[in-house]
Amino acid sequence: MTTSNRALGINRRTLLKGVGGVTIGLPLLEEMLDSTAAAAETELPTRAFNVFFGLGVPSPLQKEGYDGVLEPLKPLRDKLLIMRNVDQVRCDEKGSNAHYDGAIGAFTAEPPDGEAKAGGPSIDQVIRRAYYPQGLPAGMVPTLIGGTFFRRSRVGRYVHSYNLDGTVAATIQEKPRDLFDRVFGSVAVAGGKDSRQQRFKRSVLDSVVGEYRFFTGSNSPLGSASKARVADHLDRIREFEQRAYAMRHKNRKGPELPPRSNVPHGGPADPGGQGIDITLEELTTEWRLVADLYALAIQMDRVRFGSLTFLAAGERIRLTGDYRHNGRLIWKFDDPGQLRASGDKGCSHEWWHQFNERRKNEQLRSHAHLKMREMAYFLQRLDGDDAREANGKTILENSLITISTESGDGRHNDVKRELSGVFHAITGAAGRFKTGEILDVGAEGVDVYNTMLEGMGVKRRLGPGKRKSTSIDSIRA
Amino acid sequence: MFSQRVWLLAGLSAVLVVSVAARAAEPRVTRSLQVLYTFDDVQGDVVRDRSGVGRPLNLRIEKAASVQRRAGSLVVRSSAKIASAGPAAKLITAVKQTSSISIEAWIRPASDRQEGPARIVTLSDGPNARNFTLGQDGKRYDVRFRTSATSSNGIPSTASPNNSLGAALTHVVYTRDRNGNAKFFLNGKQRGGRQVGGDLRRWNGNFKLALANEFSGDRPWLGEFHLVAVYNRSLTPAEVVRNFKAGAGASRPPAQIAQDQRERFFETRVAPLFARKCLDCHDSATKKGGLDLARKVNAFAGGESGKAIAAGDAGKSHLWELVSAAKMPPKDSEPLTSEERLLIKKWIDDGAAWSRELIDPVVYTNDNDRGQLWLQRLTVVEYIETVRSAVGVDIAKEAREILPRDLRADGFSNTAYNLNVDLKHVEAYSQLAAIIVERMDMSEFASRFSKSRSLSTDATMRKFVAAMGKWLLRGPLDERETTNYSGIATTVASAGGDYDEAVGLIVEAMLQSPRFIYRVENQRGDGTPWPADPHELASRLSYIVWGAPPDAELLRAADSGALGEKQVVAAQVARMLQDPRAIDRSCEFVSEWLNLNRLENLQPNAERFPSWRPGLGGDMRDETIAFFKEVVWKQNRPLADLFDAQFTFATPRLAKHYGLKPQGGGPSEGLKRYDLSNVPARGGLLTQGSVLTVGGDDASMISRGLFVLNDVLRGAVKDPPPGLDTAAVPAKPGVSARAVSEKRISAVACGGCHIRFEPLAFGLEKFDGVGAFREQDEHGNQLREDGEILFPGAAKAVKYQKSSELMTLLADSGRVSETITWKVTQFALGRPLVSADARTVEQIDKEARQGGGTYASLITAIVTSDLVRMTRTQPAEAESP
Repeated sequence: MTTSNRALGINRRTLLKGVGGVTIGLPLLEEMLDSTAAAAETELPTRAFNVFFGLGVPSPLQKEGYDGVLEPLKPLRDKLLIMRNVDQVRCDEKGSNAHYDGAIGAFTAEPPDGEAKAGGPSIDQVIRRAYYPQGLPAGMVPTLIGGTFFRRSRVGRYVHSYNLDGTVAATIQEKPRDLFDRVFGSVAVAGGKDSRQQRFKRSVLDSVVGEYRFFTGSNSPLGSASKARVADHLDRIREFEQRAYAMRHKNRKGPELPPRSNVPHGGPADPGGQGIDITLEELTTEWRLVADLYALAIQMDRVRFGSLTFLAAGERIRLTGDYRHNGRLIWKFDDPGQLRASGDKGCSHEWWHQFNERRKNEQLRSHAHLKMREMAYFLQRLDGDDAREANGKTILENSLITISTESGDGRHNDVKRELSGVFHAITGAAGRFKTGEILDVGAEGVDVYNTMLEGMGVKRRLGPGKRKSTSIDSIRA
Repeated sequence: MFSQRVWLLAGLSAVLVVSVAARAAEPRVTRSLQVLYTFDDVQGDVVRDRSGVGRPLNLRIEKAASVQRRAGSLVVRSSAKIASAGPAAKLITAVKQTSSISIEAWIRPASDRQEGPARIVTLSDGPNARNFTLGQDGKRYDVRFRTSATSSNGIPSTASPNNSLGAALTHVVYTRDRNGNAKFFLNGKQRGGRQVGGDLRRWNGNFKLALANEFSGDRPWLGEFHLVAVYNRSLTPAEVVRNFKAGAGASRPPAQIAQDQRERFFETRVAPLFARKCLDCHDSATKKGGLDLARKVNAFAGGESGKAIAAGDAGKSHLWELVSAAKMPPKDSEPLTSEERLLIKKWIDDGAAWSRELIDPVVYTNDNDRGQLWLQRLTVVEYIETVRSAVGVDIAKEAREILPRDLRADGFSNTAYNLNVDLKHVEAYSQLAAIIVERMDMSEFASRFSKSRSLSTDATMRKFVAAMGKWLLRGPLDERETTNYSGIATTVASAGGDYDEAVGLIVEAMLQSPRFIYRVENQRGDGTPWPADPHELASRLSYIVWGAPPDAELLRAADSGALGEKQVVAAQVARMLQDPRAIDRSCEFVSEWLNLNRLENLQPNAERFPSWRPGLGGDMRDETIAFFKEVVWKQNRPLADLFDAQFTFATPRLAKHYGLKPQGGGPSEGLKRYDLSNVPARGGLLTQGSVLTVGGDDASMISRGLFVLNDVLRGAVKDPPPGLDTAAVPAKPGVSARAVSEKRISAVACGGCHIRFEPLAFGLEKFDGVGAFREQDEHGNQLREDGEILFPGAAKAVKYQKSSELMTLLADSGRVSETITWKVTQFALGRPLVSADARTVEQIDKEARQGGGTYASLITAIVTSDLVRMTRTQPAEAESP
């Protein structure tokens, strides 16, 4: 595997070049292009994204700064604030280990509330509701959740954007083609171009909208959680309406959809929790397509909120392949061979269980280094010249992007240690937060997140209502 | 007119009535009671609803000077009004649900000249609009009752015979059943009646309840109130007599009310706290210091330091001594907050009420979720079946292709909170609706609801839309909905379209509407459970039993209000269980419970399992489903028999994999039944590949043990303690997986928890990671099958020598039966169960076992329970900001 760390150029108006010579076609709608132009000319949109990588970086390794596994983030050091010593112990839930608790706690600072529900909202959704209480501009994807992951025993392992009531904020798009469709696709509407039929279909849709509106209105017989669910449905219908009827001018020069995914999805991606065999090339090709598309969606102002996942919490893959970075061989991945085991015991996950700060931890370091490289890959997509905005800064600098993971130690033998020192990094959010530093914040995640919300000018706070919040001023610019 | 002497005699007879009643032993009827006023407060301006049902519908006395309060009665001396502050919603909902009522009053009129009728008890809005009114019209009682056959003023009314009203304290009861039979009872004897037909669709949901006057203030009634009650059921004559004999002063004694409150405090505050912070060390199995705080008897017996709880005096309780000194919980555990400590003190000081035999920690696991009500979106499977049942179109192929998959949450993929919607759903529902309509014979379908094929007559079209909508949307449409859908026909007519085209588009709209895609129910109320609306109840029944919408018969039962009766529901379920859809639904349950869909993706390591063949995973799934059908449906055996039935089903290749002599020829042949009475190793769910593969390639004792603990015994364990090396230790020559496991159990740090689940898997050691049987592992270690099982809540483990004994222990275990009940109930309700459900689930389990422990008995017990018949409600003020 010789994938370069250099960002591949995205020309957002024509083609998206993915890795491995794959060209992604963009059957873009003219209106989408217009919206990008409009966004560039007006004031900066508020954006917040949560970026998650599975299994974490053990706390002792974070201390090595950019000389250790964080090395791939070094080119972006001026635009990131690395936060060490962030404590997520409050997210521990009796009976489930930190892969799950920590994953749900990332970006929410709350323990799970059920297998597919967080104890509260995630940062991006709180900001979304504060800035866009009436919904995002027409046709925009309200929340985009994407990722490359395999382990899926619990939704919380891979979804990282949660509504105010703790339910998942949107369906995750795990195939590049599905993610593309979700953002850029037009929707199929029966009736074709026959104007009479079109009129009838509009009438049907009007009646349907009328019904959803009633059940979200003041006379609705529904309780608040149900009402919020129907309101979400209504939002999606409006998005559907917009795509079906308001954006009909396809850019016919655009080639076809992204290629079909070559890695397993759905049930085959998680055969009974036993893990899958995958090469480095297969993994990064898939992920980079997803990352490219997600970044493009942000660049084109189709998306302002959501989350992106690179490998699930407690991910189980048996990775093979030569890993090179900046021309040097970092490691020859061969998890099953080096662990001398098959099934779940042959997965890279085991290196985290075996972590010991007194040892070299070469395999774990290489995996963690790879994760940092792929984080950097995504962030760089938002930092090129074509991502520059009206204030002369890039989208990366203008957005609030939070990067985190599930634990600060992979051994399940000490909850306090496991959920302490959980890696966090944030971007500056248009000068609101410090960048260019590695800080030992020594604070609870909930206080860090609430300080971020405060910095964003959002009133709502995460965590238990009665809790006294401590502002972490050291992260504010 | 009565003379003074007559009034005096009447007063004496009242005393006699009451004293006769006081001797009666049988308590008042409480079933179907909705409101009860016993007038036991002597002060204040509030008349409290003592029914204990839902949120109390208290009444306020508007002119305090007009009344005199006594213990057990209220005397109205001059024009007064005693009314509820808001609509009598719980009462109206409940009565509408059953179309039946009993209005009961112990009263003494001030004179026989009060007319109007003078309002004694009224659920109304003014002189001309009411749901019901019990009044006095001179020398008789009169009830105006609104139905579709009477006026909005409830006229014609039903009256007791002339001169039947006397000055004595009188027991007056009016009953009306859903067939319209109305009867008056005075002092336990029937005194008149008539037919009051029609249904209660026209009942107004905004009316308030009042005593002693109309809301206009111009129909006062003077006299004494001793008791007023309303039931949503027509009491039988025997029940009326029973209430009469119970007397005017027979309400629930305050002491009983207080005791109920103390027990509720224990159940909702103390028991969860013990479960969370005490039982790790003080349950029946661990009981450190000899103290078992899980079981009532043991808790009060105390531990090695003597009695721990001195009921009524925290100061004398050793438990409080330790808790207040922060000695308990111990230092390495999560401490109690000061609020929690005070809670324990209050509980002991108040008498340490303990209403449950056992505190089961797992009951409280999902309590974070409480208060949230999510409406149920149809799952993909339900959508397909709903379309098939409603319009006769098979849309399975397209729906499975286009609709996003439903993901599992809390063990099931029909968990409401996780059934969210994205753009893809909206697009899919739209596309599918168009395909469905295209496949329908619209003329034929429309003719089921209307003979007219006219587009132009709005009235005809509206009637048609109402009838068709009722079928497609599983209950009557209101005016707004009828207007909304009829609008489509207008659009079509104005564009020169035809009738079939219009109907097709209306169907298309309905198929995408919230009432089709979701199971919309009223969730508004006062925060307490309310009776489900009859049509909501019909949908609950049909989706629980069939995963499909109500059929015509069920809708008819809902229309008539008959579903309010438990026995009617039970009869409906018995009928519904004969339908093949009930079998499919039950198979869906077992597939979800055991997560059978994962089997098709099994990829065991090819080097370690060279004999593994693709397709075996699917065969294992089919085996379990066929086995389940045979035990549950064909043989109608108790569900617990799933754990030790001595037969199975296998394809030739699966039989070979299991070491059974394959029946039939090639590997492509289907399942065949295998008798296992002479195959000691196999028999029962746990010996099937579908379950054995949960241990992964290494046949992990931990994974298998946790599966049995969590999914078969409904137990829970805590996280590993700090400082423990949790790296998996593989078997090796001379050290079998069992030996590794035993070492782990004997380790001080691990054993406390691992003893609870690993031995559950000991009996399965002879099965490898892919479910094949062997006597030795790959290292040549001899394998064993003896072990022991510690049932959650039990004090001691039970030993077994053979795996077949383990299966028998499971099949005979009450805990296993209870777990199945919890799992089926969770699947039926589409939500994780919370502690507030525990009592009802216990009752369901009891009823199901009394009914033979079969699937049919369990489903019947579930749908006739309050978890299905009642709806959790949310008060308006609980809205999120």
